[in-house]
Amino acid sequence: MNKAWLIAREEFINNVKKPSFLFTAFGIPVVIVVIMFVIVALLVETEENTERIGAVAYVDQSGVLADPVEVPENFSAYPSEEAAHEALEQNTVGAYFVVPEDYIESGQVHAVSRTNLPEVMQDVFDAFLIANLGRTLDPETVERLIEPVNSQILTLDTGRVISSSAFFVVLFMPFIFVFVFMMGSQTTSTYLMSSVVEEKSNRLMEILITSVTPFQLLLGKIIGLGVLGLLQLSVWLIAGVLLLTFGQSLEFLQGVSIPTDMIITGLIFFTLNYFLYSSLMAGIGAVTGTETESRQYASILSLVTAVPFFLTISFFTDPDGPVVTFLTLFPFTSPISVIMKMAWGSMSIEHIILSAVILLVTTIVLIWVSARIFRWALLLYGKRPSLRQIFTALRRAPTMATTAPTSAADNNGGR
Amino acid sequence: MPSTTAIKVEHISKSYGSFRAVDDLTFEVYSGEIFAMLGPNGAGKSTTIRMILDILKPDTGTIEILGGRINDATKNRIGYLPEERGLYRSVPVADVMTYLGTLKGLSRVEARKRSLAYLERFDLAAYAKKKVSELSKGMQQKVQLAVTLLHDPDLIIIDEPFSGLDPVNTLLIEEVIKEFRAKGGAIVMSTHQMYQVEYLADRLVMINKGAQALYGRVGEVRARFALPAVIVEGEGDFASIPGVERIETEDGGHGMLLYLQKGVEPDHVLAQMAQRPDIALSRFQLAVPRLTDIFIEVVEQGRNGA
Repeated sequence: MNKAWLIAREEFINNVKKPSFLFTAFGIPVVIVVIMFVIVALLVETEENTERIGAVAYVDQSGVLADPVEVPENFSAYPSEEAAHEALEQNTVGAYFVVPEDYIESGQVHAVSRTNLPEVMQDVFDAFLIANLGRTLDPETVERLIEPVNSQILTLDTGRVISSSAFFVVLFMPFIFVFVFMMGSQTTSTYLMSSVVEEKSNRLMEILITSVTPFQLLLGKIIGLGVLGLLQLSVWLIAGVLLLTFGQSLEFLQGVSIPTDMIITGLIFFTLNYFLYSSLMAGIGAVTGTETESRQYASILSLVTAVPFFLTISFFTDPDGPVVTFLTLFPFTSPISVIMKMAWGSMSIEHIILSAVILLVTTIVLIWVSARIFRWALLLYGKRPSLRQIFTALRRAPTMATTAPTSAADNNGGR
Repeated sequence: MPSTTAIKVEHISKSYGSFRAVDDLTFEVYSGEIFAMLGPNGAGKSTTIRMILDILKPDTGTIEILGGRINDATKNRIGYLPEERGLYRSVPVADVMTYLGTLKGLSRVEARKRSLAYLERFDLAAYAKKKVSELSKGMQQKVQLAVTLLHDPDLIIIDEPFSGLDPVNTLLIEEVIKEFRAKGGAIVMSTHQMYQVEYLADRLVMINKGAQALYGRVGEVRARFALPAVIVEGEGDFASIPGVERIETEDGGHGMLLYLQKGVEPDHVLAQMAQRPDIALSRFQLAVPRLTDIFIEVVEQGRNGA
């Protein structure tokens, strides 16, 4: 069996048991889902429970409701405001509406209730008024009066249909996406860095390096922790699907589904981003050799990745301008930028592919570079390699460890 | 002479910038022997070990291990105990051992079985499921030696294997090493404990400033530094023995150091003493210096020569 798999297995098993991982993978989605359910429950309770109010009185001083049609359930007419108030005091009714004399001119209606009046109740009274105001009109016209715009926003370039109530969600969708994917690739690549730092500082590296090649070690770690990242991502995506399924009773989530094209693009970009990150993190871990120092470098890297967030406004004001184009192509910012641009506007398939290819090539180059730095820096203790030494190491690979048996002959006093 | 060569180092050199860490070093290690690698701090021992293990490449020279150039298969036949060592701290002892065993080509089941057997033998069975961080330094050291031996290698390279061990555990580890030798394994041991080299090691190389200072069988090396003198203890007039040039008191001992005239064999002197009724001999030994003294002498010479 290839030893890289053994390393991958070990990394996965050791890290999957870590409390920090368990919390990130399972704790955070559970907390979010619980919070959502609590919000849903509270909203339903306050806004849609009309039974809490009980009977409702209305006082018509304008004559609009003199001979009412379509009187809603539990609604009854009272002769005067005083009578209605009396009923409210005595708890016979839970609320009363007053339609004043100048209603036709002013459009004002007062509502008085003992507790917070549910929005639904107001809607009911609105509909009652409209029905009576428009009784001479045909029912379809009334229907249109009640809801003049049945809004559906069609984003032309992508063909993605968004209802206006879901606009808020669409605005935040990329942030949610990026958060989920970035948490996945960032946490796991940070684990990778820590494990390199640990092995280097406890000198286990020397034993490992005499059992496996540095490349096997790097590859094993990247695979093992990559699977860990995928596990976390899956848990989060499942939580997201559950949230949307059960969250349909929330108006702003109605009709929102996670777009498949964004998931697929997201997965591709963030897988590449993970390889890019983790190989860099391994290199950083190997060179610095201390947890605190490597974390500092890692946070600089995260900052670069987050640059598109600071330039969010450009995605709206100038989506095809040079700034956004650069962000979507530059390999360190492209994963986030592509998602943002896809969600808010459109991206041609050629553009996406170009961006992915640039990211892929950069990733391959960086893995190669990191593998070289990795195997050379791993065994330097006490002294930190300078940038110049790192470049020298990259150019002069033969002075470093390899297990290639073929190089036995040409190593023989050649220079 | 032992038959097979485990390590063959020929004319290796390694420089770090302008600093020459190892300078044209040549030696061999045979199977079935304990080979001591000696030298002052910074002499180039670790660099040499790293080149043998293919962690570093020599600038010039060749190294053969177990019959050829090192590759993945030979790596599985080597055990290495680095000088500065550690283990994953938050992982159970038996799990760390099993993992490192599988990296040397053992199956998971076999690696686990052997780990538990070694823990049993090293009196650590109760700690199999404890985390490494709960073990004392000496216990961790034993675990690491077990890892070195777990895959039943043909060659082990152990750097300061006795540092931090109490006398009881030192004895245990000595036993384990001797057992490994008896089975035909080759042991390269880097150490500063000279007395241990004297009674444990078969042969030695001493490295000073990256170059070979001494090399050969331990007894031979010591004899090379022997004074033209014998050490005696007992009653009588030792000065009257023919062939004795002068007498000094033994440094740090109860005996007397009898310097012999040129060409006089110690055997001859002993025979003379045995025939003399006025001399009661309780100790007779060649004035072979201890390795420590040889070590110091070689290092001093190197310093003066520089």
